[in-house]
Amino acid sequence: MNPKKIASLAALSALILAACAAPPAAAPAQPAQPAQPAEQQPAAPGKKFAGVTVNAITFSGPQIAEPMQRRGKEFSEMTGATINVVTVPFADLYQKILNDFATGTNSFDVIVFAPQWMVDYIEPGYLEDLTDRVKADSDLQWDDIGLFFRDFSATYNGRIYTIPLDGDFQMVYYRTDIAKELGLQPPKTWDDYIAFAKAVSEKKLTTDDGKPVYGSCIAKKKAAQSYWMITSVASAFIQSQGTGQGAFFDLETFKPLYNNEAFARALEVYKETTQFGPPDEINLDVGDTRGLWTAGQCALTIDWGDIGTLAIEEGSKAKDKTGAVILPGSKQVLDRKTGKLVDCTPELCPHAIDGVNHAPFAAFGGWSGAINKASKPEVKDAAFAYLSYMNQPAQSNVDVTIGKTGFNPYRVSQFKNLDNWLKAGMSEQAAKDYLGAIEASLNSPNMVLDLRIPQNQYYQGIVLDGAIAKFLAGEQDLAATMKEIEDGWEQKTEELGRDKQLAAYRSTLGVQK
Amino acid sequence: MRSFFRSSSPLKPSPFRMLVSYLILGFWAFLILFPLYWLFITAFKLPAAVNNGPFYIPFVDFQPSLHAWEYVLGEVGNDTIRLFTNTVGVSLISATLALVVGSGAAYALTRFRFHPKVGTILVFIGCVVLAIVLTALGAPWPLSVAVGIALFVVSLFTLARRFKRALGNSDIAFWLISQRILPPVAVVIPIYIAFQQLRLLDTWAALIITYVATNLPIVVWLMRDYFANIPYELEESAQIDGASRFRIFNQIVLPLSVPGLVATFLFVLVFCWNEYLLALFLTNARAQTMPLAVVAQNATRGPQWWYMSVLVLIMIVPVIAMAIVLERYIARGLLVGAVKG
Amino acid sequence: MATITSSASIPAARARISRSERLAPAVFILPAVLVVLFISIFPLILSLFLSLSRLRFQAGGLEVQFVGLDNYRKLLLGNEQKVLFGVLGEPSLFGWAILACVAASLGLVIYRTARRQSVGAIIGRLLASVVLLGLTYLIAATLFAPEGRPGTLVVTMLYVAVGITLQYLIGLGLALLCAQPLPGRRFFRVVFLLPMMITPVGVGYLFRMLADTNKGPLEPLWIALGMQDFAWSNNAWGARVAVMIGDIWQWTPFMFIVLLAAIEAQEVEPVEAAIVDGAGSFDIFRHITLPAILPVSTTLILIRMIEAFKIIDLPNILTNGGPGTATETLTLYAYRIWRALDIGGSAAIAYILLFLVTFIAMLYVRTLRNRLGTT
Repeated sequence: MNPKKIASLAALSALILAACAAPPAAAPAQPAQPAQPAEQQPAAPGKKFAGVTVNAITFSGPQIAEPMQRRGKEFSEMTGATINVVTVPFADLYQKILNDFATGTNSFDVIVFAPQWMVDYIEPGYLEDLTDRVKADSDLQWDDIGLFFRDFSATYNGRIYTIPLDGDFQMVYYRTDIAKELGLQPPKTWDDYIAFAKAVSEKKLTTDDGKPVYGSCIAKKKAAQSYWMITSVASAFIQSQGTGQGAFFDLETFKPLYNNEAFARALEVYKETTQFGPPDEINLDVGDTRGLWTAGQCALTIDWGDIGTLAIEEGSKAKDKTGAVILPGSKQVLDRKTGKLVDCTPELCPHAIDGVNHAPFAAFGGWSGAINKASKPEVKDAAFAYLSYMNQPAQSNVDVTIGKTGFNPYRVSQFKNLDNWLKAGMSEQAAKDYLGAIEASLNSPNMVLDLRIPQNQYYQGIVLDGAIAKFLAGEQDLAATMKEIEDGWEQKTEELGRDKQLAAYRSTLGVQK
Repeated sequence: MRSFFRSSSPLKPSPFRMLVSYLILGFWAFLILFPLYWLFITAFKLPAAVNNGPFYIPFVDFQPSLHAWEYVLGEVGNDTIRLFTNTVGVSLISATLALVVGSGAAYALTRFRFHPKVGTILVFIGCVVLAIVLTALGAPWPLSVAVGIALFVVSLFTLARRFKRALGNSDIAFWLISQRILPPVAVVIPIYIAFQQLRLLDTWAALIITYVATNLPIVVWLMRDYFANIPYELEESAQIDGASRFRIFNQIVLPLSVPGLVATFLFVLVFCWNEYLLALFLTNARAQTMPLAVVAQNATRGPQWWYMSVLVLIMIVPVIAMAIVLERYIARGLLVGAVKG
Repeated sequence: MATITSSASIPAARARISRSERLAPAVFILPAVLVVLFISIFPLILSLFLSLSRLRFQAGGLEVQFVGLDNYRKLLLGNEQKVLFGVLGEPSLFGWAILACVAASLGLVIYRTARRQSVGAIIGRLLASVVLLGLTYLIAATLFAPEGRPGTLVVTMLYVAVGITLQYLIGLGLALLCAQPLPGRRFFRVVFLLPMMITPVGVGYLFRMLADTNKGPLEPLWIALGMQDFAWSNNAWGARVAVMIGDIWQWTPFMFIVLLAAIEAQEVEPVEAAIVDGAGSFDIFRHITLPAILPVSTTLILIRMIEAFKIIDLPNILTNGGPGTATETLTLYAYRIWRALDIGGSAAIAYILLFLVTFIAMLYVRTLRNRLGTT
């Protein structure tokens, strides 16, 4: 009997050992499978980066990963480098990259990310300074890139850290056919926006299959894009003296600019648009509003450049009916000394057009590539060449016209030249409209840079977003909402150090001490 | 006996009761199948057919399209297959191991009496804390662990003896289940760091170890009840006949609890199959699993319903197949009960 | 690691106890204990430590700054207080009535304990009563008060209570029906299992599709009811009900399959005997089936309760916790601030959840489970 018991005992422990031993043994067998379609390129000897492997990370889905893989393959053939593109779900990309850097795991050489996060990565020293490389690379045609993306978006404290691959800022889209039918002009100010929405709403229009057309559709869902939308509305009231002025904090005291008459007005506008929106507007994210737009159910919306390319996709009911304008402005702006809303004067609003101050908002910032400082030198070289290759006009000017990619225009040559757009299926009028709005926004010296101070995710995604959600749901009034934002931001600022945050804020805006 | 039970009238419901039963069952089945039907047709819709909807019947309401399938199985087919293989491998191994280890523990908790000493536990926790503090202060972790273990062994024979109080089986069981209370978000960073130190990130091993540990408590708790219901006399007589514990467990207890084992296996399999957050952090490219692909369909453009539906369908088909196969064993529980009498 | 000393104490096993036989208990239990210990105790302690500190990302790694109970203070007393506890109002008459009932029954328990048991037991029960009374007040002052609004704590408990009750009842009903010798029942059994097989995130998105009243399948129904201008997602209770429906849909299978297995595993003779004696089906259920499945039921409820307190995917995908804070749960809240790098705060919420669930689970195990005569 005894030997048997011992045998079963041994069997049990063997199983447990197997639990620990077998999997690691199985794991190394993994790389043998084709992990990514783009890799497994036999290292061609003689080519510039033969034998170098670059691991890149971005979010899953075709928008960014598809062009990265497609261009990665071309790049491999040219240079012999292997490009592995790892993807993780969008919502967890920020944490995933940060964890990898902070724990010294360093699995990734190239990160393609939203530059809004870059200060959180630059401050601890995780990202490579690309200034010299950019200057040395003439193929990049750096000067062709929009001024804002060159000098603000890619830059921190005067140094270049990222290569833009995408241009992100918000615009207002309107239905040209409805505007014509009702005799309305595209909105110039937020008051116009409300008037437009109201007029459409009162008409009770329907689509050809009998669904209601709403005056305005804005993605107001909590913990989604709502906090960018409110900033798009607020920026025209808050920033009037150029990008360097900033639209979030005072440049001297770092007091929030979100508890004053200007932001109160923005909140009122924001809430008022809800009346003309779909009944469930406060539960819609941009995916939903874009769906409504292409179903022809919206007369106005605030969105990134994506709508322009989505509207021409198959099955869209807004094809050739989609017009775009720069974000509406305001004739009154914030007087930062008093916190009051005052009329525009040439001194106060130097960039105003016809007395209207526009402040296009570069929400999110546009996907950009950066390089891990901890990577090996030859890998860094290959990584930079790869990012440069994707960014060069020959490649990017085609990629931005493809609806499937999430790339929006960011180079001057991209909106000067209509050919690629007409090839992609836009009518000439739509292309002119769309690119005109992009040009107006991109050329605006008063573009608003998204908040990029350390832990901006907390400032915007938690405090601002939470307060706005409660305001829209009627859980609290306007005053309480503004106070909640101010208190929450101040608390975080105190926690992280006011001077440090202020210095970072000024650095992102290119304000030198 | 069995045939008597199966065919006789006493347990057979009356026609009226059968009708009512079918109505209720049919209603619930509809509630379950309709959402799945919607998922199924969404997988064949073009974006426009989703956004302009609702459309219910393919070919009548809308023209079905294979575009989502072509994308998931064609364009990114290699990724899908890799993720799928990982999911199958990791969850099958994890569920099997959890069942083996967990049912042993469950059996022990119903048949033996344990007296873990409070002192031992306190000393152990103290040593773990010490090891963590040492590591936090900058000592290399292998050193801290060694110090912790050494100190633990020493104090086990000195300090711990002073406490007389002991705990019981139910305390062990409760401790086990309490390990599931913390939400994954609270433990994901510590686990990440642990596997990074062990150099196991992005391997099956990391996922399997984690899944076995997180699902063990469920196995233990469910199996404990099944084992407790097995009449003790059977084991006693076997024991008098000289059968060993292991043999009793293998040849009497386990066969009698097949329904419970199958049900538990199915749960654990499903939990591992569907786990998201830990899989996200412990893997990069090689060991990624399917739930990540599902979540990934909601990116900057909003949810890509068509791709998501395809992925969810691909994910559930194997589990459904398994459920159909294993369902027989759950049903057999009744027969086992009858045969035994 | 000899954390556990064991002694086999089987009444009839006195016969011949060999060495391996004496080791058997340890061999059975140690693998499980060691695996759980290895994976759980380190994260448990480390996350406790994280909840007492603030993390900063510095060159070369993480800087951990010990801040004591500051994270907890922020949650319980600071800016976040309203999120966690909600807005307290004067309870309505009904609210007061509930409060009075709970207070009275707790008083009775303590009175009984005081007469029979030791000082330790009295103190324990007093403490438990105070916590329970506090929780009841919180519920009465937020859910049953005209001015009140529940915070994440109460919303989470609401999901757990309603979800588990309905899941258990539906699951039991379906299991009883399916245990009958009906032709075609195998079909139902497999179908009823399906929702559990779908990844929770998938269920979340599925319900978001279904609940879309503009392009979802319920749109015609919605219009027929004249509700095209009403959105469930704008209404706090509408959104909560939507989350609960999804939760019930997803998790009833869990109850169903375990209860089915338990019903099928029960002995047949007593049932047959009862039928021969002319007992009705309700009597059979009450006196034979119910006692047989009670132990499994209590376990089932405990496991589901622990899992249900961690509910995150459905509210996260359906409404992201909105409108306002109406559907936000503790875990969702912890996840949201964790993503925004407030890792200490997130760990603190997790620990608050740990305390709450441990308290409720212990209470449950002590009172209900043990009284029902299981180990």
